[in-house]
Amino acid sequence: MTRHINFRTVNRVIAESAEAYGAPDGRAYRVIGIAITASLAGAQGVSPKEVEIAALEQGIVPRRYLRNIGTIGVTGQIKLLQSTVAVVGAGGLGGTAIELLARQGAGHLIIIDDDSFTEQNLNRQIMSNENNLGECKADAAARRVTEVNSAVTVTVFRKRLTGENARRLIAGAHLAVDGLDNLPSRLAVEQACRQLRIPYIYGAIAGFSGQLMTVFPEDAGLSALYGTSCEALPEQGIEARTGNPPVTPAVIAALQVQEVVKIVTGVGEPARHRILMVDVRENTIDRVDLAR
Amino acid sequence: MALITVRFYSLWRHHLGAASMALQAHNIDDALMRLEQDFGPQLRARLEAAGISLDGTIQANSLILLNGTALRNLKSTDLKDGDVLHIFPPGMGG
Repeated sequence: MTRHINFRTVNRVIAESAEAYGAPDGRAYRVIGIAITASLAGAQGVSPKEVEIAALEQGIVPRRYLRNIGTIGVTGQIKLLQSTVAVVGAGGLGGTAIELLARQGAGHLIIIDDDSFTEQNLNRQIMSNENNLGECKADAAARRVTEVNSAVTVTVFRKRLTGENARRLIAGAHLAVDGLDNLPSRLAVEQACRQLRIPYIYGAIAGFSGQLMTVFPEDAGLSALYGTSCEALPEQGIEARTGNPPVTPAVIAALQVQEVVKIVTGVGEPARHRILMVDVRENTIDRVDLAR
Repeated sequence: MALITVRFYSLWRHHLGAASMALQAHNIDDALMRLEQDFGPQLRARLEAAGISLDGTIQANSLILLNGTALRNLKSTDLKDGDVLHIFPPGMGG
């Protein structure tokens, strides 16, 4: 069904609804809040995200993004709201990535996970709690996104990503965040991202250590670490013996989301052609440059 | 004989108690053999004390890069002065 929306009216109503706001740094903003955004969206037949973008295009900042603007600007926030990010896996890495992407205002999330929460997930998987054990992780994550930011839309795939379906599941995303827990699935996502010509944000953890790398389609990516031949590669790493404590995936997921912000907004340099080795016990981040 | 730097990361750094060390070796195989001789038993013992059993050599349990190139991708095993060998256990969790 074709929508007939008078965006002139939408823009006029947004402008009339905006309020003045003086930031602590002395800057003056015109802002709108969640309630006005929702009411405008309902009355004008547009989505909350469309209202937020229309407001930002007039220099009117949705209050929820006021603390984002100082780093990425109004233009960066618009770009984020117009972006689609695939998060593959909604566990330790993916769950935190999804939470932060929703708060950052990434406009559309594709969440892929076929797994359900168990008690051993409670230590680190931020979307899990004592009341949703047994629930599909992707469904819980999608519900959380709606609770945090109703302007963010979500597509859920309750599927296990494989080499056969990876490209189809990720299609439409501008980039993909790795929230996986095994090498074969990571290689499948990386390959799908190459085929779709989009960046892949690699993250992995083991114990107190984590790794991060942003891979553009023309970059060496995981082959720089694991070699160009996939023969005899282990499916799991040292985490099978060290476990996965709460802080490490939260730190790596946060850095992965920052890579998304860099790529979408152009603010900051993505961690390409290098692997960041993060050690939360030693308080170190080492940068290993990869040969090109 | 080349003088190279070996850099440890993650669990290896913690249990060996060093971020890097200098090493003289003829080639990569020689370097990895010396590493195993000098550090293998100590690493396995400390991991064991931490409740982590490690079967096999350091090499067999590590991702290894020479000047940013994975060992598996190297065309030559030669070393030259100033080369850097990066060694860490693979982490694949999420």
